[in-house]
Amino acid sequence: MPQIPQLADDRVLNTAETALALKLISRMDFLRLKTIARWHARGLPPDVAWDDLLQEALTRVIVGSRRKPEAVSMVAFLAGIMRSLRAEHWRRARGGPDSRETLRIDHQDLSRAAALRDPAADLEHALIAGEQLVAIEQLFAGDSVALRILAGLGEGHSAAQIRAALKISKTEYDSARKRMRRALLREGLTCAQN
Amino acid sequence: MRTKLNVIEPKTALNRILDALERELIDASDEEILEAAKDLGMNPLMKGSAAFLGLHTLSFAEFFESDALREVLARARTMQIAAATQLEPEGEARQPTPKRAIERKGAADK
Repeated sequence: MPQIPQLADDRVLNTAETALALKLISRMDFLRLKTIARWHARGLPPDVAWDDLLQEALTRVIVGSRRKPEAVSMVAFLAGIMRSLRAEHWRRARGGPDSRETLRIDHQDLSRAAALRDPAADLEHALIAGEQLVAIEQLFAGDSVALRILAGLGEGHSAAQIRAALKISKTEYDSARKRMRRALLREGLTCAQN
Repeated sequence: MRTKLNVIEPKTALNRILDALERELIDASDEEILEAAKDLGMNPLMKGSAAFLGLHTLSFAEFFESDALREVLARARTMQIAAATQLEPEGEARQPTPKRAIERKGAADK
């Protein structure tokens, strides 16, 4: 009777472990990506978890559906995929061009598919965004410079514009950004819900 | 410049902030990550560190060898010792056994 060869390891690797095994990323990159995934998951409904975002981004790289340009680091590339996944989620929810929710119009003079827009998705997006802005403000509570930098970023200002508006030096600005980075990393490394 | 974010459309403001601060996380150095982890009582350099929770699964062998498990067991042992110490009455000397109780059975017969 033929024997089934024993496997060296009976575990099925998940995509993150595969990426690590293939040396696509280091263990520290792993943590960097965890914090980025948790950060981007803030823009999504609660049923889409940060690890879904990260696993999906890694899967796209592993299966080769997204190819990394030479000049871009793997972490920056994966972060870019997660960013586009966030945008894609809302585009689909709203019924944009990539959405499958279309209505076929059969008329003698007009025959095409019209995209159905879901107004509830826009409302949900606005509500989640409002809640997350409050949560992000709380991350920097007590740091007035950080809060003002945040407000400037929200308005789409550049670093130079923010420094000029706040009348702070480059050193003060960099110091505030460092404090913000530390707070973001602390939040990103926990396993608590956003 | 405004100081409150909710004056702008929330979706736009959130997207701008997420995209702008994503760069901060990409550029964070290994030292900064280790320091932030230390703030949380984590050591990502240890095998089975809690920092990696949710990122990958541990095999049974890895789980039983992990520092996280050792730490939990050590904490449980400390708590067990502390609980046992509290149960014992403090400063109370051991009561001497009554003389009659240590008398040998049949001693009176002598």
